[in-house]
Amino acid sequence: MKKIVSVSLGSSKRDHSVNTCLLGIDFEISRRGTDGNFDRALELLRELDGNVDAIGLGGIDLYLYAGKTRYAVSDGLKLMEAVKKTPVVDGSGLKNTLERETVYYLSKNTQLLPPGCKVLMVSAADRFGMAGALTELGCDMTFGDLIFSAGIPYPIKSVEELEEIARKTLPEMTRLPFHMLYPTGEKQDTQDEKKVEKYGHYYHGAEVIAGDYHLVRRYMPGNLKGQVVITNTTTRDDVKFLKEKGVGWLVTTTPELEGRSFGTNVMEAALVVLLGKNWEDITPGDYLELMRRLDMKPRVQRL
Amino acid sequence: MATHGEITESLRAFEQAYADDSRLKVMNRDWDRKVLILADDLESAHTMILKDGELSFSEGKTADPDLTVISNSDILADMFFGDITPTEPYMNGSLRIIGPEDDILRLDFISLLIWGE
Repeated sequence: MKKIVSVSLGSSKRDHSVNTCLLGIDFEISRRGTDGNFDRALELLRELDGNVDAIGLGGIDLYLYAGKTRYAVSDGLKLMEAVKKTPVVDGSGLKNTLERETVYYLSKNTQLLPPGCKVLMVSAADRFGMAGALTELGCDMTFGDLIFSAGIPYPIKSVEELEEIARKTLPEMTRLPFHMLYPTGEKQDTQDEKKVEKYGHYYHGAEVIAGDYHLVRRYMPGNLKGQVVITNTTTRDDVKFLKEKGVGWLVTTTPELEGRSFGTNVMEAALVVLLGKNWEDITPGDYLELMRRLDMKPRVQRL
Repeated sequence: MATHGEITESLRAFEQAYADDSRLKVMNRDWDRKVLILADDLESAHTMILKDGELSFSEGKTADPDLTVISNSDILADMFFGDITPTEPYMNGSLRIIGPEDDILRLDFISLLIWGE
């Protein structure tokens, strides 16, 4: 039995554990949230180091991207460096490949992403692969990085402008405490009502809403009109929440295991164990090949 | 130690760089704020005003600031001239910003959009 633990700065209310079998190998996968407590996350990582087969880091990114340039998030690196023996991943290695493939899959196999459709990506600096693929397909993009992360009501309309702004801001922003940039702990269970009211129209004006689930959730207004949500991690409660808000379709980029989709960090940790290679040596091609063998497809759900 | 005059000059450079970037005016048209800038190693106070997307500053204090920026005169001058970013002094405590976290982050973004590489 291979053991994978995802340590998250997110809410412990989302903790869970499942057993599953991937390519004939049994896995026990669990998630442990630390409610935004950074020191508790460090402590837990040290406890797990050497005692599990792989660790996923959730609720935080190790890297943010401006095009092909990546910037290490200081708080993420601190967590990663606490682990000395066990492979530790944040999902960023898999995210680019998996999320690009999800976009291509939806375009080829569904009517959910017609050319020219209006897409709001709540944040793209954490998923340039998805941003690039949606742009390639000719979607009318709105990148909400400044709107939702900085409270600046400026919709970024092209990957080029996104890259230019990211190059100016990310080298410094990644040095700030992560909670200033991303909802951690109990903020993941609540909505920012002021921003929902102020920026909800960006959701209403979009046909597709894409990006990190916690950001999507935190600023989502009610009375949506059947929009498509493309995101990563959802629980049964999240699905209920989205349905109540008026979302019509939910696409999760990672497959469902026992009623919920896991974060990319968990899936990447599992794939690293299956590949048996050092994380640094794994290529996008390795992930693609393994995803094909596992028949990993996005989950498309009518709500 | 920088002088009050040097801080004034640095704010003038900041004001000019802001005025040269029409995108910043669009970004901040909803953000009316008064920012008090105080040096903690000499008698020096300035007030930066953001209103309807325009940025201006004046020498002296304002009674009801939304944000207060406090640091030594060298850091203030270097920061508004764009020679250093606010992040490092903010993180090591030599730059204090008093106000709501959202406003602090937004001020940081504006500074990076003006002076970022």
